[in-house]
Amino acid sequence: MRRPATAAGLLLAAAAHAGCGDTLPAAHRLLTDARPDAGGWQVAFAPSPAPLPAGRHVALDIVVCPPPGATPPAMLSVDADMPAHRHGMNYRASVTALGGGRFRADGLMFHMAGRWRVIVDLPAADGAPARRLTREIDLR
Amino acid sequence: MSGRQWAAAALLAVAGCATAAAPGLLDFSADERARIAAHGPWPPPPAVDPGNALSGRPAAIALGQRLFFDARLSRDGALACASCHQPRRAFSDGRPRGLGRATPDGPVDTPLDRHTPSLLDAGQQRWWGWDGAFDSLWSQALHPLLNPREMAAEPARIATLLRSDATLACLWRRAHGGPPPLVDGNDADHLLVPLAKSLGAYVASLRSGRTPFDRFRDALVRGDHLAAARYPLAAQRGLRIFIGRGNCSLCHAGPLFSHGEFGDIGAPFFVRPGVVDPGRHGGIAALQASRFNLLGAHADPPPPDTADPATKTRHLIAQHRNFGEFKVPGLRNVARTAPYLHDGQLPTLDAVLDHYANLSPDRLHADGEQILKPLQLQGNDRADLLAFLRSLDSPATGRAAGWRAGGCG
Repeated sequence: MRRPATAAGLLLAAAAHAGCGDTLPAAHRLLTDARPDAGGWQVAFAPSPAPLPAGRHVALDIVVCPPPGATPPAMLSVDADMPAHRHGMNYRASVTALGGGRFRADGLMFHMAGRWRVIVDLPAADGAPARRLTREIDLR
Repeated sequence: MSGRQWAAAALLAVAGCATAAAPGLLDFSADERARIAAHGPWPPPPAVDPGNALSGRPAAIALGQRLFFDARLSRDGALACASCHQPRRAFSDGRPRGLGRATPDGPVDTPLDRHTPSLLDAGQQRWWGWDGAFDSLWSQALHPLLNPREMAAEPARIATLLRSDATLACLWRRAHGGPPPLVDGNDADHLLVPLAKSLGAYVASLRSGRTPFDRFRDALVRGDHLAAARYPLAAQRGLRIFIGRGNCSLCHAGPLFSHGEFGDIGAPFFVRPGVVDPGRHGGIAALQASRFNLLGAHADPPPPDTADPATKTRHLIAQHRNFGEFKVPGLRNVARTAPYLHDGQLPTLDAVLDHYANLSPDRLHADGEQILKPLQLQGNDRADLLAFLRSLDSPATGRAAGWRAGGCG
């Protein structure tokens, strides 16, 4: 389930990232949850093929949006799980850095219908802690 | 729910509003209709054997068919692919476990470790073998061919057979553009791989036909409630359980009624006392060690602008929970392919329902999926589920298609 977020935190995050990933196809762009503990970071991603299918391998085009004054990481990792089922994917995504906070993740598969959680892990860098950004998606 | 799925659900809802439900048709909700629609359409586009450039080519299919029924491929001429994958039994054998040999030189009279799966619609799957040890049909075909407990084939003898049998030699030339190769020494991949790809091309061509469920599903999608109402009410009720409170369609998903992956359903997986079948855990290890997997040199590249079939193999990961997992089988023609589970331990569909009704969480692995719960069967639920499952039969299929030898005799 999504963690509750404070209204102030959401407003700040929304203001900071109103255009996060606006180079991605708008109809299929998804944003990680803007939680207070995200430290102002947000990630936008769009699946290919779209919309996100169950039972097929997919790639994600990813854009990392850092808070003011921070720079995007050189690399990140992507995973997904079904918390209610206590299992993850049967496949490990590979990530390619494209520069400028853009990445492409290949090899994901959401192999059954239900609630999935896409997990993007940003590594610790420049004195900033590692951060986990997530987005829950219901697949039919 | 994705945008496309919302649109489909909305369309179905509109269709439901436009036409009053006919007598004999359950009042399926828009959500139920969307779930039902997801089990079609059928048939799907023709299957392609991954990494097999011969897939779909009639000459290769004709050769593969001939080889499939030829027991001379086995060392003692006692076993063909079709000995276990019998067309009249939906390309299975009706036994709990396939028959093989206790020793390489022994007779074919000993149960192997696993049930012989049906080959109908095998081309629609993602992994092959109960443990998914194979990522293509052609690489799977090599296993029974070379397994000392099964066909125990000797490549040099096969090469001699292919060159001496005029029909086989002719079919080989048509499929591969040259004569069957000679085998000298231990390196036989140049013979085995094209032979296996011919078999893979044939198996990929084995498709089941449309079923009463498909006719119902299509009628529901197009809003033809009168046609939909011809589907027996018992099957409708069973379908409602299957996609609803039974939660069956979570794993038995899509047109094939399988999501193509693996699961632990709490069934015993002892091969014999003291010996367990590791299932998917062993399958992944075998796949990754095989020189015939899609990452190897023998796999043909995909056509331009098509998805890379090796993606699944490249990104596959082994996990502890894979131990004791077996492939979720498709359910088309399920009533014709008893007995059930990876080792045929359940003789009937009734017994399968008993298994799910009596699931013991203690028998599921501690780190297993939290999906399975005992199936609550009341009243006519059992009969209704069986009626639905039997409606997945396509009685007209199972015959071996007659691929022409093209003047090869």
